[in-house]
Amino acid sequence: MTRGYVITHGAIGEELVRVATLILGPQVGLEAASNAGRSAQDITAGIAEWLAAGREPALIMIDDYGGSCANAAQLACGDRSDTAIVSGVNLAMILGFLTWRETHELEELSQRIVDKGREAIVRLGGR
Amino acid sequence: MTIALARIDDRMIHGQVTVGWGQQLRPDLILLANNAIAADAWQARVYASSVPPEIAVEILSVAESAARLAAAEESGERVLLLTGSPGEMSELVRLGAPIEQVNVGGLHFAAGKQEMLPFVYVDRQDLIALDRLLKAGVGLSAQQVPGGRDYPVGDEQLERMEDLL
Repeated sequence: MTRGYVITHGAIGEELVRVATLILGPQVGLEAASNAGRSAQDITAGIAEWLAAGREPALIMIDDYGGSCANAAQLACGDRSDTAIVSGVNLAMILGFLTWRETHELEELSQRIVDKGREAIVRLGGR
Repeated sequence: MTIALARIDDRMIHGQVTVGWGQQLRPDLILLANNAIAADAWQARVYASSVPPEIAVEILSVAESAARLAAAEESGERVLLLTGSPGEMSELVRLGAPIEQVNVGGLHFAAGKQEMLPFVYVDRQDLIALDRLLKAGVGLSAQQVPGGRDYPVGDEQLERMEDLL
C-alpha cells in the first residue's frame, strides 16, 4: 500500500487530511506537514526522514509547484524509483489517493490522482 | 539601478521570491549566489525549475555572482539577487558587488539560532556577517513580502541579539 505525505504552506495539508478522515474514516500511512517557520533544509530533512521511516512506495502531495515544498520534495526524493510527487493538492486528490492506493501501482496511482484533481476543478453555474 | 532587490533568504528560490517580489519588481534575472547549489547540477535544476518562464535564472558560485553583477551593471539588466545566508551576501560585498541595500527576507529557526524577528533567526556567524554589511555601508532591513512590515536592522538590533547569544 502506498504511503502518502502532504506538505503545504500553512495548515492547508493538515486540514485536507483531517477533512478526508472525516469523510473516509481514520487512516494509516497518510501524514501531513507544514512548511511554516521552517528552512528549506529543514523541510527537505523532514521529508527525507519520513521516506526513510517506511518501505512502501511513497506519494508526496504538495500545494504549489515552484515553492519551498516543491523544491524540498524533489531534493528529498532525488532519483528514488519508489516515490512520486504531485502538486496542486486538493481534497479530491486526497480522497482519490485513499481510494486507490491499495489497488494501483505508484505510477498509475499518481497519474490518476492528477487527473482526479483536475476533474474536480469545474465552473458550477454563475456567469 | 541593476539590483532590484538583494535578499537573504534560506529558502532561496520559492514563492515569496518568484511570485511575491517577482510580480512586484519584474526583474529580468533571478541570480542565486550559492557555491553548493552551483556545483550540483541536480539541485540547480530543481531550484531553477521554480522560476516562472518570463524571468531568467542563473545559479552561480558567490565569486562568479560578483562578476555577473558587474556585467549586469553594464547591460542594464534588473537583477533579483538571492543568497541563503548573511555570510554569502557579505562575501559578495567584499568581492565588490554593487550592493547598497539588503533585504533580510527569511532566516528560519535552526539549532543554535535565536529569534530576532518572527521570520529571522540568527547565530553568531550571521551576526558577524550582518555587522560586516553594516560596516561596509550597506543598508539592512527585514521584510518578508512586498507591502509587509519593514523592520529596521541596525547596530541596536544586532547588539540586542549578541546579548542573547
